[in-house]
Amino acid sequence: MPAETIIATHRLAKHYGEVRAVDGIDFTVRRGEIYGFLGRNGAGKTTTIRMLLGLVRPSAGDVTMLGTRIRPGQQSVFARVGCLVETATDYPNLTVRENLNIQCKLTRTPYPAVDRAIALLHLHEYAKRPAGQLSLGNKQRLSLARALLHDPEVLVLDEPANALDPAGIVEIRDLLRHLADKRGVTIFMSSHILTEVAHLADRIGIVHEGRLIEELDYDELRAKARQYVEVVVSQPERAIALLQQQLGITRIEQTVEQRLRMFDGLDRVAEIARALVNDGLELTGLCAREEDLEDYFMRMTGGAA
Amino acid sequence: MLERVLAAEFLKLRRSKITWISWLAFSIMPLATGLFVWIVKEPGRAAQLGLLGQKASLTGVTADWPGYFKLLNQAACAGSMVLLAIIVAYIFGREYSDGTAKNMLTLPVGRHWFAIAKLIVAIVWFGALLASIIAEGFLVGTWLGLPGLTFTLAAAATGRILFAGLIGYLLVPMVAWMATLGRGYLPPIGFTIFMLLMGNILGATGWGKWFPWAIVPMLAGMAGPRVEVLAPGSLAVVGITFFAGVALTIWQLRFGDNTQ
Repeated sequence: MPAETIIATHRLAKHYGEVRAVDGIDFTVRRGEIYGFLGRNGAGKTTTIRMLLGLVRPSAGDVTMLGTRIRPGQQSVFARVGCLVETATDYPNLTVRENLNIQCKLTRTPYPAVDRAIALLHLHEYAKRPAGQLSLGNKQRLSLARALLHDPEVLVLDEPANALDPAGIVEIRDLLRHLADKRGVTIFMSSHILTEVAHLADRIGIVHEGRLIEELDYDELRAKARQYVEVVVSQPERAIALLQQQLGITRIEQTVEQRLRMFDGLDRVAEIARALVNDGLELTGLCAREEDLEDYFMRMTGGAA
Repeated sequence: MLERVLAAEFLKLRRSKITWISWLAFSIMPLATGLFVWIVKEPGRAAQLGLLGQKASLTGVTADWPGYFKLLNQAACAGSMVLLAIIVAYIFGREYSDGTAKNMLTLPVGRHWFAIAKLIVAIVWFGALLASIIAEGFLVGTWLGLPGLTFTLAAAATGRILFAGLIGYLLVPMVAWMATLGRGYLPPIGFTIFMLLMGNILGATGWGKWFPWAIVPMLAGMAGPRVEVLAPGSLAVVGITFFAGVALTIWQLRFGDNTQ
């Protein structure tokens, strides 16, 4: 039996005059799923997230979350939703604990939840410090603690790993995975750290110029990712001409500086090396690889690679 | 739910610096008024003090309780119009300037409760400021040893300051609306300054009783002759402004795009 749909959008759109910030997006997120929402700056990620949370009214289409259509003034659903939109922001004059106390009060959550959230996000030593005096990373932790405080069924997180150090990123990744796997929390997250999304998301949506251009899970990504041979070679233009003429390899892309990717001749690695070296070119790297999410994302959104 | 939102709003107010800055700014008024009265109290003192003495003489203040109250009332009215706007601009605008509006609006709390709670916090704080300057005004006047204090005069002066304060308060939901519409502090403060300028112009041209921002200056005698009793039309204009401001603020929070 398919898992219950927790978030669904139907032809969701937001237009600002002639600008189509979001242009008819349809997606669904199922219970316990981590959905990674990717896009370049200005692709429409944050506008979509704002519409999911009722902060911006759609120009067309609608959002349903936990079976409730999100409308202006429809606030009761947020008792079951935690969120972090764009930058981490809390009341700067209030301490960490006071910020969380306010969240408790307004979500009708018992106060012991504050201690649990402080422990979970490792904020003990900052509990009495005004939020305005925290480092960016700890501000992010405080905002995540606020989002998690009332034990939500759904988390909508815009760049949850922002400003965190590498250990913090791993820690939050593990926490989100635990919430999804053990507690069935549904997570909709945007991120520009593609390796994070690749590690974490069960399904990935790629948004470009306001449209959802691709939706795929990890297995589909693997299936769609192209194999290639990458060489690092001096005089790449000469190398390209040589490979085309001598070996008939035509699908060659230069990525950065002296790096070439060949999508033909995957079984001819030894021949490629011999041809380049025999021609007097300096070969400093050669390996067979597969596109990762970053490569795939760049290809889909019209970037390099 | 209102009491929970109120508790949160009062905590934010207690922890903010502007609370104490506004109290300091307001507490200067009775001292400045007292200084002017002290200058005109002794013949020749104004001449000795140069520019400050000239300024005190130009106010026409007399060195007795009626004169002192008249000047204090003018100072309180002028100060409260501006200070009240700053307080309300801060209470509403900080949510946008601090980037916390998006958190506030994604809570399981009707958005109208935030508008109502913030307006209640504003009137409580403003009421405390008014009470503080009235008490300070009596202390300063007593210290100066002014003649002519009667219970009737004290009650009338207190009532006049409180009434002008209340009328001034009824205008602030429009300031709150400007803060939510403009998403910050500056639009509501700019709006208030513009309205006060318009109030002065319209007050001087005889249309003041129909323009909300001219009514408080008229009560204090700052825009034409002092008005003792407000005309029903003026009260209706102020009442309509209040309810329109509350409705627009709630509408903006509820239906407006919050793209902070």
